[in-house]
Amino acid sequence: MKILVCIKHVPDMESRFRVNEAGNWYDERDLAFRLNEYDEFAVEQAVRVKEQLGGAADITILSIGPDRVIEAVKKGLAMGGDRGVHIKDDLVYQKDPWQVASVIAAFARDKNFDLVFTGMQSQDRGSAQIGAAAAELLDYACITTLVSFEISGDVVTARRELEGGMRGAVRFKLPAVVTCQLGLNTPRYPTLPNIMKAKQKELLTFPIADFLNVESLAETEKMYPPERKGRGLVLEGDVNELADKLASILKEKAPALR
Amino acid sequence: MKTLLICEYRQGKLLESTYELLAFAQRLNAESAMLLIGSEAAAPAFSGKVYFADAGQYGEYNPDAHKRLVLEAAQKENADYIVFLHSSYGWDLAPRVAAALKAAQVSEIVGMVDGRFEVPACNAKMRRLLKPKTAQAVLTIQAGAFNYQGEARGTPQLERLDLAVSAPRVEFLGYEEAEKKDVDLAKAEVIVSAGRGVGKQENVGIIAALAKVLGGELGATRPVVDAGWVEHTRQVGSSGQTVAPKLYVACGISGSIQHIAGMKKSDFIVAINKDKDAPIGEVADVLVVADVMQLVPALTTRLSK
Amino acid sequence: MYLELNEEQKLIQETARQFALAELEPVAARLDQTGDQEIFWSNLKKLAELGFMGLNIREEYGGTQAGMVAFSVAITEIARACASTAVTVSVNNLVCDVIQAVGSEAQKKAYIPKICSGEYKAGSFALTEPGAGSDPAAMTTSAALDGDTWVLNGIKRFITSAPYAGVFVVWGVTDKSAPKGKGISCFLVEAGTKGLIVGREEEKMGQHASATTEVMFEDCRIPKEALLGKINDGLKTAVVELIGGRVGIGSLSLGVGLAAMDYATRYAQKRVQFDQEIVKFEAIQWMIADSYTELEAARLLLMQAAFRADQGRSFAKEAAMAKMYASEAANRACYTALQMMGGYGYSKEFPVERYTRDVRIASIYEGTNEIQRKIIAKEILKNLQQA
Repeated sequence: MKILVCIKHVPDMESRFRVNEAGNWYDERDLAFRLNEYDEFAVEQAVRVKEQLGGAADITILSIGPDRVIEAVKKGLAMGGDRGVHIKDDLVYQKDPWQVASVIAAFARDKNFDLVFTGMQSQDRGSAQIGAAAAELLDYACITTLVSFEISGDVVTARRELEGGMRGAVRFKLPAVVTCQLGLNTPRYPTLPNIMKAKQKELLTFPIADFLNVESLAETEKMYPPERKGRGLVLEGDVNELADKLASILKEKAPALR
Repeated sequence: MKTLLICEYRQGKLLESTYELLAFAQRLNAESAMLLIGSEAAAPAFSGKVYFADAGQYGEYNPDAHKRLVLEAAQKENADYIVFLHSSYGWDLAPRVAAALKAAQVSEIVGMVDGRFEVPACNAKMRRLLKPKTAQAVLTIQAGAFNYQGEARGTPQLERLDLAVSAPRVEFLGYEEAEKKDVDLAKAEVIVSAGRGVGKQENVGIIAALAKVLGGELGATRPVVDAGWVEHTRQVGSSGQTVAPKLYVACGISGSIQHIAGMKKSDFIVAINKDKDAPIGEVADVLVVADVMQLVPALTTRLSK
Repeated sequence: MYLELNEEQKLIQETARQFALAELEPVAARLDQTGDQEIFWSNLKKLAELGFMGLNIREEYGGTQAGMVAFSVAITEIARACASTAVTVSVNNLVCDVIQAVGSEAQKKAYIPKICSGEYKAGSFALTEPGAGSDPAAMTTSAALDGDTWVLNGIKRFITSAPYAGVFVVWGVTDKSAPKGKGISCFLVEAGTKGLIVGREEEKMGQHASATTEVMFEDCRIPKEALLGKINDGLKTAVVELIGGRVGIGSLSLGVGLAAMDYATRYAQKRVQFDQEIVKFEAIQWMIADSYTELEAARLLLMQAAFRADQGRSFAKEAAMAKMYASEAANRACYTALQMMGGYGYSKEFPVERYTRDVRIASIYEGTNEIQRKIIAKEILKNLQQA
């Protein structure tokens, strides 16, 4: 079985974000990047499929971006991927989801992947478009927001997460693109020996020009921190004084205490 | 300008959130038509055209067929914008429609500035302004970002769509409750929720104790539930339960979009968080800047007296 | 000059950090108070399975072969959450290093994989004696050959992990007539060997989850093949291998110091006195500036020592400098952090009190800082004489 996992290297969301000089993205300098959280579940699920098949699967881990994304690819390899693909683009943040999906599709087109895993969205852009758009371009079935995944032969039974604590069960045949929601599985920590062995695994690098053949359809004109509405009361200071103040507020608001 | 609004329909019912699409269209000052893939009886209260396809025939979840129905309605309507909720239905279908049309898609719109669409980025810590470069665009709007004022009225003119569709590639097997419910947060008057900021499972009891003194229920965010600290039935947020109690106390919750969507309609919101700039501050009536593990025990002591 | 970790080192640091945050930090206070060994051991087992027990060990013996820089950043991340766990991991690495450096092929295959895999909870490094601390050559434990067995007699003190170690590296005098330090040899003794008696646990000031005991040898017979390295060459082995151990202890110190200052700084941002957050007072800002500068200097010294080790260059002086400076900077950082928090810093309700106790030993074990200074001066003077 041939598996492709598409991953993104994103800033740690605990970071303080500053806007870049052009005003249309965050300033990447000084940020610590890591593997997009949703994509960790995608890598994990791919590796579990391979384990279930007794190793009879080949996992390609793909990421687009500047050289730093190799770190994310190596994490994917350390978790169990077989081969890394780095599609190099120093200005990937200027590409819209349509272009990114097109690049993935162009890479995957002649390679007959049976399964393509990716996160349901990235933590920074959060557009939730790439998986479904790439599937359309490849004419693959696509199932988004998975919280369970079972494969038997070429048939997958899975559950999608819906709103309000509901799930939708689905069944489909390969080939397919699936997008992974948090909680789909428990991603493993890459072990240290596997981190070291990842160095020896194949890592292919291509310029993005090899696969990019469409113009962007949407443009990010501006990025900025959200306006503070400041509609509420902000209490700061000593913990004991805060507890006093808040206790008197809650005594009014909680029906049980009135 | 013309919009085609795609109704949310599930388990034989029109979802209320559908009306948020109308509120969005009003903000755009756009002419609207709707598409309902559902049942005739569930048609929205709307004075205008509603393209209708029978879910009995096409299924409630059948992306291949639904994509074709949306494209058909969009073509008939000559729609500039095709608008979905940013929901498990909308974000699943919208990119397929956009790809088929080679149209721009803008996801999770929360507002409009100078004719541009505003969307969140970086876990709601930032915003982006986006401009579609194509004449036609597919949009998804954030749940709860556009509220429909007043009660929806009107009788739609239904126009039936009939397409021959091939067998679906994805077979829908049915709906499931995520887990059996032992607690109904929707009925609670007071909810005290624990977020990642409580630090560890052992600390959840401290939050539960506050909930008890306040006569309320314990709630939790998704990360806390995923970590197994609190059972799933207590998860508040778009993937858990949407709640609107009289009092909501958010403890150590930074306020992901999904969580805020699930609790922002609460009458009174108290947030206790170390980070003054956490997004939860935007919806809180009172934001207490403090270490939740220091403040909550002190608070519970005072309230128990 | 390139002051960045490579991708593998970054990923190892990330694995250590994520594991420490998820598994170690939540239980560290409880381990300190109750010494809950089941949790402690289960965390050691998980760390072994992730590959943290043999960072410098070759793959064929179950190690990671990631190098000293990776070892340093891993120990720092673990120590940020739990110093007891960090010291155990550091000593386990040290024991593996000793066996790999001088052991026979059979010894390497027999013991290293068991420590690396977590089959053994720990390995112990039994050098110190009641009368031989900074001066290990003064040891009196004896090892005498009797036919096909060595017979050990004597007492070792302050032995980390002894109650649950699977194997002990033990030093004893094999030639009493040799000049001081020239008649000492090294042995491998398995736990459970008759005559190896683990004494009662020391009631230590800190690092409570990590057990420290006396180990007594009473006519303890071990096979002739249990000799580790060359006869009468043991002290040199100890001296050489402790160099790497010093990088471990320096890295541990850095982790605890950072944890203390991170906690106290966040506290100072919230704590209000005289109607403002105390972090707005210059006195507090200077504490923050000084402590973080010292900790950063410690980090750079550690990275230099580790980098040289990975390059195969000498690093005895650099490791001694790094251990000495980092342990003292971390002690000052904990003192400062506690001071910043006032009475709350002194309370067991907050972790800075624990950090302060845990870090105190770092200027003492793996060679006191006075010994480190001696090593540093000796290395400097040696080079001057040659010039």
